[in-house]
Amino acid sequence: MGTLRVQPARLSVLGGSTTSGSWNHFDLQLAFYALALTVVGLLMAYTNSEGSPLESGSVFTRGLMWLAIAIVLFTVAAAVDFRWLRTFAWPIYLVNLGLLVLTLAIGSGTGGVSRWVTIGGLQFQFSELAKILMAVVLASYLSRRQHRLKSAGAILGAGMVMAPPLALVLVQPDLGTSLVFGAMLFGTLFLSGARLRWLFLAAGAVVAFIPFAWENLLRDYQRARLYSFIDPTADPLNSGYQLIQSQIAVGSGGFFGKGLTNGTQTQLDYLPVQATDFVGATLAEELGFVGGVVVLLLFTALLWRVLLVGWRSQDAFGLAFASAFASMILFQLLVNFGMVMGMMPITGIPLPFITHGGASLTSLALGLGILQSIATRKGRQAW
Amino acid sequence: MDETLGGADPRGRLWRRFVVFGVIIVLVVAALGARLFTLQIANGGYYAGLARENRLTLQPVRSARGLVYDRNGRQLVDNVPTFTVKVRPGELPMAQRPEVIARLSMLLDIPEPEIIETLDRGAGNRFELVRVATDVPTDVARVIAEEHLSLPGVEIGVEARREYLYGPLVSHVMGFTGAVTGEELERVGSLGYLHDDVIGKQGVERTYEEVLRGRYGVEEVERDARGEVVRVRRTLQEPEAGDSLELSLDVGIQQDAEKAMKWAMEIVGLERGVVIVMNPQTGEILAMVSLPTYDDNAFARGITSAQYQALLEAPGGPLKNYAISENFPPGSTYKLVTGTGALADGEITDQTMIPTKPYLSVGGYRYYEWNKQGFGPLDIYNGFGHSSDTFFYQLAGMLGIDRLAFWGSQFGFGERTGVDLPNEVPGLLPTSEWKRRVLNERIYTGEVYQAGIGQGYDSFTPLQVINAYCAMINGGDLYRPRVVRRILAPDGTVVQDFQPELIRKLPVDPEVLRTMRQASRRVLTLNHTYNLVDLPIVVGGKTGTAEFGIRDSKGRLPYHSWFVGFVPKDPQKRASDPEGMEAISRDDSELAVLAFAYDSRTTGNVATEVVKYFLQLHYDLDVDLRQRWLLERDNFYGQ
Repeated sequence: MGTLRVQPARLSVLGGSTTSGSWNHFDLQLAFYALALTVVGLLMAYTNSEGSPLESGSVFTRGLMWLAIAIVLFTVAAAVDFRWLRTFAWPIYLVNLGLLVLTLAIGSGTGGVSRWVTIGGLQFQFSELAKILMAVVLASYLSRRQHRLKSAGAILGAGMVMAPPLALVLVQPDLGTSLVFGAMLFGTLFLSGARLRWLFLAAGAVVAFIPFAWENLLRDYQRARLYSFIDPTADPLNSGYQLIQSQIAVGSGGFFGKGLTNGTQTQLDYLPVQATDFVGATLAEELGFVGGVVVLLLFTALLWRVLLVGWRSQDAFGLAFASAFASMILFQLLVNFGMVMGMMPITGIPLPFITHGGASLTSLALGLGILQSIATRKGRQAW
Repeated sequence: MDETLGGADPRGRLWRRFVVFGVIIVLVVAALGARLFTLQIANGGYYAGLARENRLTLQPVRSARGLVYDRNGRQLVDNVPTFTVKVRPGELPMAQRPEVIARLSMLLDIPEPEIIETLDRGAGNRFELVRVATDVPTDVARVIAEEHLSLPGVEIGVEARREYLYGPLVSHVMGFTGAVTGEELERVGSLGYLHDDVIGKQGVERTYEEVLRGRYGVEEVERDARGEVVRVRRTLQEPEAGDSLELSLDVGIQQDAEKAMKWAMEIVGLERGVVIVMNPQTGEILAMVSLPTYDDNAFARGITSAQYQALLEAPGGPLKNYAISENFPPGSTYKLVTGTGALADGEITDQTMIPTKPYLSVGGYRYYEWNKQGFGPLDIYNGFGHSSDTFFYQLAGMLGIDRLAFWGSQFGFGERTGVDLPNEVPGLLPTSEWKRRVLNERIYTGEVYQAGIGQGYDSFTPLQVINAYCAMINGGDLYRPRVVRRILAPDGTVVQDFQPELIRKLPVDPEVLRTMRQASRRVLTLNHTYNLVDLPIVVGGKTGTAEFGIRDSKGRLPYHSWFVGFVPKDPQKRASDPEGMEAISRDDSELAVLAFAYDSRTTGNVATEVVKYFLQLHYDLDVDLRQRWLLERDNFYGQ
């Protein structure tokens, strides 16, 4: 810590007094909730491993490996003064765009999409990292314009900043992640104090844009998923299949669930992608209503701590970053868990902490690390 | 600074936003929790049921098909385990279909169009398995199993198939099993057949399908989403193995009969031949040979279109059982009906002498004696013995067509015998009513004459002919012919023992039939059948030569040869009975044999030679009276 003598460049401009990191303010609760959710995710990885979960290369052992990486990343991010991020926001933004372009160029995926980049045998989904990086960029952008947040210009500007990565993700195509970007933008602007009238106007513009997007931007399979959401039984063996089987999985879980690894729907492959996007179904089937409620409560507690970190930071960047992070988690929870239970259409949005995937977990760890950095280096700036 | 966030208390305004956001979080979580509650608690039972239905399905358990034995307990068929290749069309993506079919075609050596046809024919549920190949060699099955990733929807199964131990020898009686067709499924649908099931197609495999099949069991299995059975949970109903059949057929007699007919066919170059051996006391069929024949194992192994086409086009038509599935003019064998009818109706007695002539004239047409000379005055014994046409023309004229038809029908002509084999045809027995109805004409005297000697419209199956003779031989009981004697349970106990089934008792004095038996003996003693009479056993019989088809350049018609013979129970010739008349008078014969040679055109009666050779073989006689010169191709015209 002591090595960080050099003050972040713009900090003096804001005129706030500086504080060095204090581990006394480390948010243990936040770390605990996040870890608890990650453990639930590992349990799901265990139960969803094909063959022996302890074999190398199984979903479970890979999950353990990613957890180790995530903890390292978390520690490093927590140790670094978050204000450096604000300093390097623009380079981060460019790197982020570069990674997304790279994904489009050399990425691979199933069914003619490019989502993953394979590095050293490991698949990495940069769009997950992009969410955290965009939270940084957005927070940085808004914190510099905190005096002008009432104007439409700042909102428009924030939208302009968000637009390129959103578009790059959308053409992968990854509708889900681009929606997450949108949710983060709205949530952050709302919590940062943007004028509601401009927000409503922007929301209205988005709604007006929907018919155009339906015709021109959505692929056939995406439209089919939306149709199926409206009537899953119309095409029960294809796009409606997952929705129906997922609800059966959740419903058949009952109060206490069927027990870990005892889910019939998921273990017998009735429910495809039960290890990734539909991990919530495995959870609800095997751990039941009790497990589901515990997870929901953990998310609630986590969100509360995230917002608290933002609020207490008394720093425009900290507040905006926490808002973006919370918006992201809440939106993903709603869409993913809602999708599993047939409340939301199918989109490829992971359930934070629980869906297996190194990119998702390490990105969350990075975000949580930044939040801890914010928590331990609260600004003293008065509002 | 206060202006920045637009209020006197920006921190307070933001706080409100945070509260609103917190409320949104609570609402989202509450909505998710409520949905979770609805699904898992409120409707948990419903979804649990759906999940159970998903993975637990009832599936039939195949039963072991019953076996078939001959009358001496010789096993004729076995069930052998083999690999099958089946496809679930619903799991074969259209895009991959061509390559999968091409690969299967290569591995299984079945033309692609055939596989496509098979897949498309198995209409109905696209998730039902369709059988593509049966009896797949182990190494091919292994390759397919290894390539299962690139062959979606293709499954390897182990299944019992029929192995017919005597193959072509008994295939016309045995028949075969094959993949059930859509039509058959519709017919037997309620009996729980599977889409990839096998069913008896021909022979006793078909007529006794229900007996042989047994009852399929039912088990509850747990499946994964791909339909693979993960485990069997419980058996709801044990499969019951099918019962076995004990045929009345005697493989030894069948072999003798086939050997005799094949011998003649080879020498003459005959296209088709039939030999039937029956026990006149019971109606049991001891041998039924229809040549050419085919190997039913080809069907059991899953015949290809090319093989099937080859069988359809093979000379002689090997797939047809000519003993029951086609009609032929019976020729002089039919004089049994004419003679019996005339005696029974009192038109003649066995004393009545009737003049025979070179020909009879009716309406400007001449109806010739077969030797174009006549035999002088004859009684029924010698009329039958010489097979005099003019003799029987006159008897037919006395009876008239309808009395003649009455007696024919009493002997079972013109109706299916009801033998327990598929594809039997009824024959054609002309009456005046039939002539009017079908040809819109009255029947002419000449046609009555023709009918009296088994020509003209008369057209019957070989089985009808021998069965009619059996009724004469046993003293007047017309039995339903059978090829199955008993049904045996898997443990060998008798489930059903078929008793002789009487169709009718002939309405004649047994004396009349005794007269006809003696007349049958006269056929031999007059040397009408050359040296047949020299066999060391007493044989009675009747020859037949039946014209058919189109006249040649010399105005001659091709013809079939018939012979129906029978041997009394204790057939050894005795000094006390030099003519064998006493033995032949008895009604205790347990062996009647019919030979039919299609389009024979030989110097002598080929059928008689076949029966002679058969009797030599069957009774293991220490003589060989076969006369090859009688088998020379010629246009011999005689009765």
